[in-house]
Order: sequence, then C-alpha cells, then structure tokens
Amino acid sequence: MDNDNISKLLRLKRYEHPPAEYFENFLTEFQLRQRAEVIHRPFFQIAWDRLCHLLAPPNFPRLAMAGSFAVAVIATGSVLTWSDSETQAPLAQKIPQVSSKSSPSVQYVLPAEVVTYASARRSF
Amino acid sequence: METLDPTDDQLVDRTKAGDARAFDELVVRFSPRLYGLIYNMTSSHEDTNDLLQEVFAKAYRSIRGFQGKSSFYTWMHTISVNMTINFLKKRNRRKTMSLDDVDNGILNDPDFIAATSNGDPSHSANLVELQKKLNESMMKLSHEHRAVVTMFDIQGMPHLDIAKILKISEGTVRSRLFYAHKQLQNHLQEFIKK
Repeated sequence: MDNDNISKLLRLKRYEHPPAEYFENFLTEFQLRQRAEVIHRPFFQIAWDRLCHLLAPPNFPRLAMAGSFAVAVIATGSVLTWSDSETQAPLAQKIPQVSSKSSPSVQYVLPAEVVTYASARRSF
Repeated sequence: METLDPTDDQLVDRTKAGDARAFDELVVRFSPRLYGLIYNMTSSHEDTNDLLQEVFAKAYRSIRGFQGKSSFYTWMHTISVNMTINFLKKRNRRKTMSLDDVDNGILNDPDFIAATSNGDPSHSANLVELQKKLNESMMKLSHEHRAVVTMFDIQGMPHLDIAKILKISEGTVRSRLFYAHKQLQNHLQEFIKK
C-alpha cells in the first residue's frame, strides 16, 4: 500500500518540465554545437570520417572499418616487403664476389668475340 | 493522402546514410523523454541541458556502431543513463532544482491534492514544500537506485525495459525498486496518505 503511495508521489515529478519553447530551441542549439564541433575537429578526424562514409556501407561499424583498414595496411606492407626480398636475393647470388687480392683459383677467360676480333686483326 | 511518420529504425538508417535531417527528427522525438530521465537524476536544468546535448552528440558520432540488436529507444536510454551516472560521480556538489519549471497542472492532480490536503490549504505553499522534499529524497538515493526509480515511477517504464537499458536482470530492477521505495518512505512519511 505504501509502495503505491510512494509511486503516486513520485509521479508528481512528471510536472517538472521546461516550457515547450525549450524543446523548439534545443534542436537549434544542438545543430549549432555540432557545427562548432566540426569546425574545431582535427583535420585527420574529418578525413577519416569522410573515408569511412565513402568506403563503408551504412551499417558497417566504424570499429570494423578501422580493423579492416589496419589489416589492409599490414597486408600491403607485408606484400611489399616480401616482393623486395624476392627481387633482391637472386641479384645478390648472381654478382660474383671478387676480392682485391689476386686468387690463383680465379681464371679470367676472354669472351669468344674478342678472341675472334683479335685474331682477325692479327690476320690483317 | 496521409503520410506515415518514419519509424525510428528508418530514421536511423537514413542517418547512417548521411541524412543529418533524419537525426534531427530523432532529436525532436527523443529529447522530451530523455530530458525527463536526465533531469530527475541530476535535479538541475543547466546540467540536464548540457548532458542532453552531449548525449545526442555522442549518439550521432557512434550511430554507425548501432547494429539494431536493441531498439534505438533502449540504446538512447542506455547512453543517457551511463553518461548521467558518470557525470554525477564527478559532480561533488548537489544542486537543488529550480521550482520555476513545475507545470501548474500539478495543482489539479488528485494525487497532489491528496498528498497536501492535510496541511496548509494554500496549494502553492504546499507545492514548494512537496517538490523540495521529493527532490531531497531522490537525491539521497544512490545514482543506480535513482535511475531505476526515475524510469519506473516517474517515466512509467516496465521492469523489462529498465533491465535492458541497465543491462541487469528484472529481479535486480525489482530489488532496487523495493530498497529505494523503503528509503523514500522514511523521507516522505508526512505526505503519504494513511
């Protein structure tokens, strides 16, 4: 019984509300604040928002978008790193290591064309 | 031909697609109700105004994360309650409400007449006294109990909706209400009809 009476008393607090004009002005104030917030937001945040808006479908959560973006960046980085090592490794193997000291095991052979050319000159 | 108002979900989808006017419509729809919720938890019109602005700003920023697992109504109430409780934890002082904004309709409410008929015949004097006492009693409750009382007793929400908003069981809602009513009885004894 007392519970009902308490509830009835508390229900009287419904009469405490601002005048109707308040809610008419509230939206205007909200829009002004939103615009002010946009003006004062850092550039990268605005750019990120626009990127999200352009790339993600409407129901795609922003966190998932950030996750996908991070995965894409890591994947691209990995592919670039891997392709660099792939192209550099065979070159390193093909270039002969020539030391400054003369080694008896190394034999220099003239290309066949040069021999032919020299022998041809000798024949003149 | 009669045009039907768009549903909350339709407005949410349009907002997600970049239609800011759809969100304006949601602001108009939800601001009176959320105002009541925040006001009865803070007892300050200034704080309520600032908090309500922040609630809608936060909702707008994070609306892409709203996946529709709960209704938009529940989602907005959850944001409002959480932000208000966080605000109250930071606010040290306890402000008193402004009695200027009490609707005169209260003077004709049978429950108000019943609560004040034993004392001074001047209703306006009793109104101030009753509102002051109600406000003080509410502010003596913990933030969590005040949230439940506000939603159930003042806003008339069912237990299930409150449980969803606060992410607690219906049993917990009932026990918080029971405890809060017990506390309020002690403070409002003089206004309770025997």
